[in-house]
Amino acid sequence: MSIETRPDDAEMTERMSSTLTPSPMNGNGPVDSATAPHTLRINMGPQHPSTHGVLRLELELDGEIVVSCKPIIGYLHTGTEKTMENLTYLQALTVTDRLDYLNPMGNNLAYALAVEALFDCEIPERAIIGRVLLAELTRLNSHLVWLGTTGIDLGASSVLLYTFREREVLLDFFESLSGARMMTSFIRPGGLADDFTDDWLQGVSKFIDDLPARIDEYEALLTHNPLFKDRMVGIGVLDGQRALSMGVTGPVLRASGISHDIRKARPYSGYDQFEFHVPVGSHGDSYDRYLVRIEEMRESVKLCKQAIAKLPVGPVKTSDRKVMPPPREELGQSMEAVIHHFKLWTAGMKPPAGEAYIPVESPRGELGFYVVSDGSNKAVRVRERAPSFANLQALPIMARGGLVADLIAIISSIDPVLGEIDR
Amino acid sequence: MTETLDQALDSLTLADLEHGTSADGIDFVRVPVDAIPRLVDAVIGAGFGRFIDLTAVDEPRRADRFELQYLLHSMQDQRWLRLKARTAEHAPSIVSQFEAANWYEREVFDLYGVLFDGHPGLTRILMPDDWDGHPLRRDVALGGEPVQFSDNIS
Amino acid sequence: MNMAASDGPGHEKDGAHGFLLSKLESWSREKSLWPVTFGLACCAIEMISTSAARFDIARFGSELFRPSPRQADLMIVSGRVSQKMAPVLLEIYNQMPEPKWVIAMGDCASCGGIFNNYAVIQGVDKIVPVDVYIPGCPPRPEALLDGIIKLQERVHEGATRA
Repeated sequence: MSIETRPDDAEMTERMSSTLTPSPMNGNGPVDSATAPHTLRINMGPQHPSTHGVLRLELELDGEIVVSCKPIIGYLHTGTEKTMENLTYLQALTVTDRLDYLNPMGNNLAYALAVEALFDCEIPERAIIGRVLLAELTRLNSHLVWLGTTGIDLGASSVLLYTFREREVLLDFFESLSGARMMTSFIRPGGLADDFTDDWLQGVSKFIDDLPARIDEYEALLTHNPLFKDRMVGIGVLDGQRALSMGVTGPVLRASGISHDIRKARPYSGYDQFEFHVPVGSHGDSYDRYLVRIEEMRESVKLCKQAIAKLPVGPVKTSDRKVMPPPREELGQSMEAVIHHFKLWTAGMKPPAGEAYIPVESPRGELGFYVVSDGSNKAVRVRERAPSFANLQALPIMARGGLVADLIAIISSIDPVLGEIDR
Repeated sequence: MTETLDQALDSLTLADLEHGTSADGIDFVRVPVDAIPRLVDAVIGAGFGRFIDLTAVDEPRRADRFELQYLLHSMQDQRWLRLKARTAEHAPSIVSQFEAANWYEREVFDLYGVLFDGHPGLTRILMPDDWDGHPLRRDVALGGEPVQFSDNIS
Repeated sequence: MNMAASDGPGHEKDGAHGFLLSKLESWSREKSLWPVTFGLACCAIEMISTSAARFDIARFGSELFRPSPRQADLMIVSGRVSQKMAPVLLEIYNQMPEPKWVIAMGDCASCGGIFNNYAVIQGVDKIVPVDVYIPGCPPRPEALLDGIIKLQERVHEGATRA
């Protein structure tokens, strides 16, 4: 594989474009398809500061205008699906963290729900509500990164420092809960890995109470900023019908006017007990996608507050001994407990044969793990339905006719994560 | 199965059409692979107009080893539907009915080797263009390096 | 121009004058290591955290992450390197001018990490020479800073290439 043009050699690009036939971009007169047939084919990425990962785009440019844009993916293909098929179900859970690496607990949740559907086991209420709390904290985390990187892509570099300030506090919470900042593998088939402490819940509660003021700070920097609006309003329009036919989900779909959120459409993990509304845009441009995500952050704050208030007393692991090992105390008293403990920690759990796919609403859209079991301790097939894969397929439609600088704004408003696209 | 879906499936008059429900509560329909375009038209008519996912499950001991799994969604009923079809190598492309299926079919081609007839540009999407083989097939090894643990050295 | 690994560019090393000059070179190189933006996967997010306000990699000299490899002297490979990405990585490495260093950040860049399979290069040292390996999945920002400090110590001793 060779890279045809050096992506960052600005001088060479300028020399090449000045040899094109007349076009308004060269300042030489009106465009006419007969006199300006030449376009410049240029490569963008995979090493690029603004492509949100290793995304390669083959652009065809008429001056600065994007005539066509072809995404080329696969630069982060990790073979996770085949790896997960060669690990036990609990080991495979640790791989799911690393797919959409900005939403690790969301991936854990989607995988855990699919495995639990195969077992059809009962999850205690404290674990169900706790999962909502963790999933929404992870959504906040993901949107904070999105906002920071969108800011820095468009030149508003201080936004990154503000959002990462909040993110560090959230990562401190995840670390004190599970031991790891990012890849926690905390939501497991059968419940949670461990219980919350009251101190931890108090700390999170205080953080959540302070967060709306911080979101106001970010909005004060961006929402009515004329520079930001110039770069985002009317840019990358995707109309609702096209979004539906391209399989687009998540904030991108909602910004195009379609009100569809899996948490309302097919509630999972107790979301039907919560009160929240789903923000929907109307213009389908990058600015609406920004507004939708900011609103989603505020709704996540509400959901976290409700979750902390609703959290009942009780266990966080299922009592189904085929899924979760028994507590230590039982091992001294029951032979069955010892046998279950042994089987689970050596061979691992063995879901009954069947298939399951439980969609969840990740910060990027409809995420689900399609798990096929044949009754043994390793899955026959684990497949991740990644929302960014379909969302990125719609990029050429949004980018056509815009400027190269608009392309950057569009990519950051789609918020793709190459880890889940390439798997 | 909803009534409209039942009617749509009956109108196909396919002798070997199986249906059922999986552990996740999602209905599935299995047809011979050549009938996929007609089945897709029928279920689109029954409201399942959103394409969600396409993948394959490989069972190498079976002659038609790849079972394609299409996942569709109906906005009005808020239901998901799975279509299954078994094939040894070829399958009809449904890009003309669902433009979102484009990259998904390329991925199944890349990782499993299923050839989608009628696809506008069936090329590899995740592996390098000059890669040999189809890695997700069950009879292909995981790859990687052998790891030597010190207690295995004799 | 072929240079010996631990000497500076061609001028005389004899005498106090040459000694001070080479010390000045090492000091200025180690205190201003500018990384090229080479974030691949999850480790890249921790790298961004390291450059944000709490950990602040700029204190250690890496004020700016250069998008162009021509203007960078450090490549922090943060994340898993897939088969398709390997030639790109080598091309970026080749485009960096001497002296240059490589940090393999994280388990995937050091040895393939948890992905011992067909798709991931088992360690970026299979294609480029690596100076410092930082274990972790992902390594904490403090671990990345520790790795950079270790690299600075190496540069201080006069190592001019990985």
